[in-house]
Amino acid sequence: MGIGSTLMAGIGLGDPVIRLGVTGLSRAGKTVFITSLVANLMDRGRMHALRAAADGSIKAAWLQPQPDDTIPRFDFERHLAALTGPEPHWPEGTRHVSQLRLSLRLDGRGLLGGLTGPRTVHLDIVDYPGEWLLDLRLMEKDFSEWSAEVLDRMQGRPGAEEYQAALNGLDGDRFDEPVAQRLAQTYTAHLHAAREAGWSDCTPGRFLIPGEMEGSPALTFAPLPASFEGGRLHKEFRRRFDAYKSRVVKPFFRDHFARIDRQVVLVDVLGAIHQGPRAVEDMRRAMADILTAFRPGRAGWLAQLLGTRRVERILFAATKADHLHQVQHNRLTAILSAMLREARDRADFSGARTEAMSIAALRATTEDVIHQDGQELPAVRGRLLDGRQAAFYPGELPADPAAVLHPARDGADRWLDGDYAIMNFAPAPMTARPGDGPPHIRLDRAAEFLIGDRL
Amino acid sequence: MEMVTRLVGRPPSKLTRFFINSGVALFTFLLSIAALNFINDLLTRYPVLGWIGVGLFALFTLAALGMAWREYRAWARFARIDAIQRQAGAALAEDSLDKARAVADGLVALYRDRPELEWHRKRLADNRGDAFDARTLLTMGETELLAQLDQDARREIEAAARTVAAATALIPLALADVAAALAANLRMIRRMAEIYGGRAGAVGGWRLARTVITHLVATGAVAAGDDLVETIAGGGILSKVSRRFGEGVVNGALTARVGIAAMEVCRPLPFIAQPRPKVGNLVTRGLRGLFGSDERG
Ligand SMILES: Nc1nc2c(ncn2[C@@H]2O[C@H](COP(=O)(O)OP(=O)(O)OP(=O)(O)O)[C@@H](O)[C@H]2O)c(=O)[nH]1
Ligand SMILES: [Mg+2]
Repeated sequence: MGIGSTLMAGIGLGDPVIRLGVTGLSRAGKTVFITSLVANLMDRGRMHALRAAADGSIKAAWLQPQPDDTIPRFDFERHLAALTGPEPHWPEGTRHVSQLRLSLRLDGRGLLGGLTGPRTVHLDIVDYPGEWLLDLRLMEKDFSEWSAEVLDRMQGRPGAEEYQAALNGLDGDRFDEPVAQRLAQTYTAHLHAAREAGWSDCTPGRFLIPGEMEGSPALTFAPLPASFEGGRLHKEFRRRFDAYKSRVVKPFFRDHFARIDRQVVLVDVLGAIHQGPRAVEDMRRAMADILTAFRPGRAGWLAQLLGTRRVERILFAATKADHLHQVQHNRLTAILSAMLREARDRADFSGARTEAMSIAALRATTEDVIHQDGQELPAVRGRLLDGRQAAFYPGELPADPAAVLHPARDGADRWLDGDYAIMNFAPAPMTARPGDGPPHIRLDRAAEFLIGDRL
Repeated sequence: MEMVTRLVGRPPSKLTRFFINSGVALFTFLLSIAALNFINDLLTRYPVLGWIGVGLFALFTLAALGMAWREYRAWARFARIDAIQRQAGAALAEDSLDKARAVADGLVALYRDRPELEWHRKRLADNRGDAFDARTLLTMGETELLAQLDQDARREIEAAARTVAAATALIPLALADVAAALAANLRMIRRMAEIYGGRAGAVGGWRLARTVITHLVATGAVAAGDDLVETIAGGGILSKVSRRFGEGVVNGALTARVGIAAMEVCRPLPFIAQPRPKVGNLVTRGLRGLFGSDERG
C-alpha cells in the first residue's frame, strides 16, 4: 500500500491516489465537508495549517474526470455555488452516489522533493446519502434476527402502531404482491416518521432514499414477527432481504469503501445533544456499530472485502462547530472522543493513527459576546435561515463528557441541568479575497492530518 | 572555545556571589566617602576647583543614572520577550486560543516599529481570524513575523562561525584566539537579541550571554568532541591536513551551537513550523569559501 504505491509511482506506474472515505450519518455534513474541502484545496488562502499549502509546495489543484465511468460526478460547482453564491443556502440532502477526483500538482521541497521533481497526487472522494451507511449493520444479520430487533426497537416510535395494525390479521401462508407493497409502504412511512423525530438507526437505508431502485422487489419487504416463520410471506421476504444484502448493500460498500486509505468520520454531536439524551445514545450506538464493521483485521464480511488493506488514518470530527464559541470547542471534542471511545481504541490498537477534533466545514458565524444578567456569555452571531441576524448562546457544554453520555445511556428523557439549543444558521454571504476558499474552522488541520503526509 | 563557554557559563557559588557583592558595595562606599572628603577639602581650599569638582560629580552621577535607565529599558524589553515566550509555551500546552491571541498581540506590539515587517503585520491581521487553534495561530505569527528574522539570525551565526574558525586557524598566539572567539561570540549573542527585538545593554548583554551558555549547558550541547569534526563536510579531511584547521572547524561548530542557543533564548516563539537551524548546515555555509571548499558546497 503506502510504500508500494509510492514505489509504483516512483518507477512510473501511475500517480499515487489517496482514497478518502467520508463516513457520516444523514445530515452529518458530508456534502458540505467535501465541497468545502475541495474548494479550499483549489484556493488555498485559508489552509494555514496544511503545511504543503502554507509553504507553497502545492502548485496547482484541479478537478479531473473521475476514474469510475458509471458513477455520476459529484456536482461540486452546484454545491459550491449554493454555499457561496449571492444568496447562500445549504445543499439539499444527497439522493445518490457521486464521485470526484481532485488532482494536486506538487513541487516537492526538501531532499526527496528535489530528487523526484514535480509530481501529481489524486484525491478520490465519494459522496452518498448517509442513510445508506446504516445498512452496514444489516450485513451480519439474517432476516429473523433483523425482524426481531427492529420490531422490538419500534415500540413507542412514531408510525409503529400503524405498522402493527397492518401486521394484524395478515395471513402468513399467502403471498401476494399488493399486500407486500402495502406492508413495505407502511414500514417506510414509519421509518420516515422516526427519522423526522430524530432517530438515526432506521434500516434499511434504501427505504428512505431508494435512489434508482424505487419499487423494485429488493426494496419491497418489511420485518415480520417470529409467528410468521415458516409461512410463504416470511420465506419471500427473507429471500428479498437476502437479495437486498447481496445485490444492494454489498456492492455499494465494495465499490466505495473497500479501498479507502484515509477515513473521516463526521458526527453531528451538537445536533444530537440538542435533540436530547435519547438521540445521543441512539447516535452513539449507530456510530459504534458502523465503525465496528470497519474494524481492521477483523474476520468479517467487510474485512474480507478490505483484504489486507488497512485504513491508515482515521479522523473523528464533530461537525458544525461554528455553532459554538471557540472556548467550548475542546469540550465538544471531548464529548465526541468519549462517544466514539471504543471505536477509537480499536483503531489505535490496530495501528491506525486517529485524531478527534471539532470542525466546521463552512463557518457561518462570527464570535460575539452576549451580556446577560451581568454575565458575559461567549456566543456566536450569524444569519438565520429567514435572513435575520442573531447572536446566540447555545448553553454551556459540560467539562466532563460523562455528564452527557451517562444520562443518555440511562435512557433519560431530557437533560437535567438545562437545555442545549441549536439555531440553524444559513451560510454567511462572503466577500472572499482572491485566492481564499470558503471560511471554515480547522478544515486545514483536518486536511493536514488526513492527507498532509502524502503531499 | 570550550574554555570560552566554561569561562562564561560557570555559575558562581552563593558564597562567591555574596563575597563579590559585599566587596563591591564596600568598595563603592569607601570610594564615595573618599570622593566626598576630597571635594569637601577642595571646596574649603580652592572654592572654584571645588565647584568644578561638584559639577563633574553631578555630571557623572547623571551619566550613571542614564546608563542605569538604558539597562532598565533593555531589561524590560527582554522581560517582554520572556513573557511572550512563556505565554506561547502555555498556549501550546493548553491549546488555548485566547492565550495564543494574547501572544500574537504581544508579537505585533513587539515589532510595531519595524517598517520592513509592515506587510507581514497586515497579513497577520487579515488572516488571524481563520485560526481556531493555538498552534495554527502561533504558526501564522511565526511564519509572518519571525521567518524573515530567522534568516537574518542565521546569516549572523554563519558570519560568527566563520570569524571564530578563521581566528582559531590563523591567530598563532595562544590566548589571543580565545579572546577573539569570545568577542565574536558576545557580538553574535548581542546581535541575536537585537534581531529579535531585544536590546542588550552592557550588563544585560553579559547576563544574556550567561543565559545562553546556561541554556547550552542544560541542553548538553557543549560536550562536543572530535566527532563533531567528522559531521561537518570536509572536516574529517581538514583535521588530517592540519590540526589547527581542524580546531578551527570545531570552534566554528561550537559557535554555531552557541548561536542556535542564543536564537532560542532571544526568539519570542519556540520553533513551530519554521525549521530550527542545524549546526551542520550553518557551519558548511559559514565556512564555505574560507577553506576553499566552495566548489563542493
Ligand atoms: N453551521 C454549519 N452547518 C453545517 C455545516 N455543515 C453542515 N451543516 C448543516 O448540516 C446540514 C447537512 O449537511 P450536508 O452536508 O448536506 O449533510 P450530509 O451528510 O451530506 O447529509 P445527507 O446528504 O443527507 O447524507 C446542512 O444543511 C447544514 O444545515 C457547517 O460547517 N456549519
Ligand atoms: Mg449529502
